[in-house]
Amino acid sequence: MSLADVNLLSASGPALEVLGVRLPLFRFVGLRNYLRTFADPLYWSSLARTAYFVAAFVLEATLVGLGMALVLHERFPGRALMRGVLLIPWSLSRVVVGLLWVGILDFEFGALNGLLQRLGLIDGSIAFFKDGFSALNVLVGVYMWNQAPFATLLFLAGMQSIPLELYMAAEADGAGYWQRLRYVTLPAIKPIVFLVLVVATVNGFLMLDLIYVLTMGGPGHDTTTITWLGFQTAFTFFKFGPGAAILYTLTAFCLLLTFLYHKVMFRRLGGEA
Amino acid sequence: MSTMTRRTFLATSGLAAGSAVLSEGRLRPARADKPLSLAGWVFKPDTVKDYVDFYNRKFNAQVKYEAIPWAQYHPTMETRAFGGEIVDVMYCNHNNRERWYENGLLRALDDLPGADELKKKMTPANLESLKSKDGAKLLGLPYFTSLFILIYNEPMLQQAGIKEPAKSWDELVEQCSKLKRDKVSDTPFLPNWNNSPSGTMPQFMTDCFSEGAQVFDAKNRVIVDQEPGAARAMERWQKIYKAGLVNPEIFTKTSSTDTHRLFWTGRYAYHTNHSYYLKTIAGEPENSKLAPKKAKMVMYPGTGNTYMWTDSYVLNAKSKALEDGWKLARFLGGNLNGDWYVQRQWCLISGLDNPYPEMYQAKEIVESYDRWIDLKLLRRQYEKGKVIAAYKEPWYGEYDTKAVPIVHDLIRGALTVPQGLKDLVKLQKSLV
Repeated sequence: MSLADVNLLSASGPALEVLGVRLPLFRFVGLRNYLRTFADPLYWSSLARTAYFVAAFVLEATLVGLGMALVLHERFPGRALMRGVLLIPWSLSRVVVGLLWVGILDFEFGALNGLLQRLGLIDGSIAFFKDGFSALNVLVGVYMWNQAPFATLLFLAGMQSIPLELYMAAEADGAGYWQRLRYVTLPAIKPIVFLVLVVATVNGFLMLDLIYVLTMGGPGHDTTTITWLGFQTAFTFFKFGPGAAILYTLTAFCLLLTFLYHKVMFRRLGGEA
Repeated sequence: MSTMTRRTFLATSGLAAGSAVLSEGRLRPARADKPLSLAGWVFKPDTVKDYVDFYNRKFNAQVKYEAIPWAQYHPTMETRAFGGEIVDVMYCNHNNRERWYENGLLRALDDLPGADELKKKMTPANLESLKSKDGAKLLGLPYFTSLFILIYNEPMLQQAGIKEPAKSWDELVEQCSKLKRDKVSDTPFLPNWNNSPSGTMPQFMTDCFSEGAQVFDAKNRVIVDQEPGAARAMERWQKIYKAGLVNPEIFTKTSSTDTHRLFWTGRYAYHTNHSYYLKTIAGEPENSKLAPKKAKMVMYPGTGNTYMWTDSYVLNAKSKALEDGWKLARFLGGNLNGDWYVQRQWCLISGLDNPYPEMYQAKEIVESYDRWIDLKLLRRQYEKGKVIAAYKEPWYGEYDTKAVPIVHDLIRGALTVPQGLKDLVKLQKSLV
């Protein structure tokens, strides 16, 4: 599709019929859709925003996910309940997540502004979506809230598979909590870290629904990412060829980053083996 | 107990089947071979379902109705057409009508019985909106027409000692500044600058028109960079934004519906939006603090002109049930058998503006509007409604969407007024 001039409404034109199924013949345009995409300054500014979004999201989701996993790996009363509650944000539809956070952050009727005003901490309401950079960071935060529990789940699974003997041996050697974390836990869950990084990166690149519900790419273009640009191009402007070209570039970035993560992590694993 | 022979059984069942087939044919001579399909975007889907049920009962029909979310509606219909599905009667917004016609998805209605009579009953501006780009063909029957109005919060103005609502833009800015200064309202003005197709750009055209500016020339080229009125409107927008008179999150509101709900709170003094939203603001005490009738409309300042468009019901060009489809289209968008049922219901239930003037002569409609708006004033505003032809151009939809961030940047001061207006012209040229 990204190599063709696709107009769904002109599907009544020339077609190939295979086993009774009509396959419209779209005009082949070679790399034209890609060249046009790369010539558009909006593509590059969207790419920069996407890079920021993905980097911030991957970092936050990984660190918060790991932090929560470390807490939930410890024994304390109510741990089973906490592990169940943890999954609620992840199990919600992202449209619901978006609407929920509109209710919390809105300038006019947001719960957070109401709370801060009642506590006397602010005079007027905070406009979280006024400034583009702030809006982009709100998107990062909300998406992290939604996705970090999944990372926690993966990290927990990894931690539970670490043999207790390793911890006991470390303790016998006089290792404290941070040393056990540094020299036992983290090396043992490296394959999980790799998995979390890859999943979070792909999810970060593909995030669309929250933009749709919270900002629609605005204010201005300030929260327009590559996914939103591709979605708009294909489904608002009906330019399916260029839309597909834009979105295929994301696939390329995902593959590239996965390769890089793999290279870095396995090199280190190899070194320690 | 009697027994039945094989021969008697076959004869009896054959007779029964034959009579069933014949009677089905006799009772339903005008019914299409298969159920008629109707698809529309989501706006009061339960109400539309009631219309369809009423139609099915009254005309012994088999219309199947389906509501599709607004944002996906037009791409969905195109994808389905691509897959070979034929939806007999469809909603179609003004931006997509010409495109659907030129690509053979919808058919013109002029040759169908009763079309000429309906054309005569329509306001000329709405009729013009519904015609093809060359002005020769009627492409749809009206679903509703929409125009922008200026709404004010009467109790708030009274509280601030403001005796009359603003009649000019300068007066409006002055009053809003006073309301903010006196701490009556943090953000007294609520323009419809939301990020959807029904928000920022219709509001932009409205305010340009009210300043006497043209947005498009006779060849549908954007000419705002040559229009002093457009520059005046944008300078005013920059000024009110910079002065903090507007909700700072307005640019990320995703619909006109979300925007108008902010006015329910009673915390704003002025609001510009589609006329029918005043019905919930001033007519629904269960939702709005400004009901009943504490929010009112006033004539739009300046020239009084505001942007107006007409959305429609269209017939699929490939429908195999043309006669039934046209009958349903007339039920929805006209007066099938002399009854304006659906058009009347939309006026009564939602206060949608209507392109058939005779609708406003009915007593029940006048009484209904009187509960939430000054109908005479609304009709005067309607006469000032300005339609454009540019949306019939193939590039319009993309222009309309891509222009929004430019206008938002202009309002926020990231672009100067001359630069922003030039960028709009440049954008349109790049799409032609």
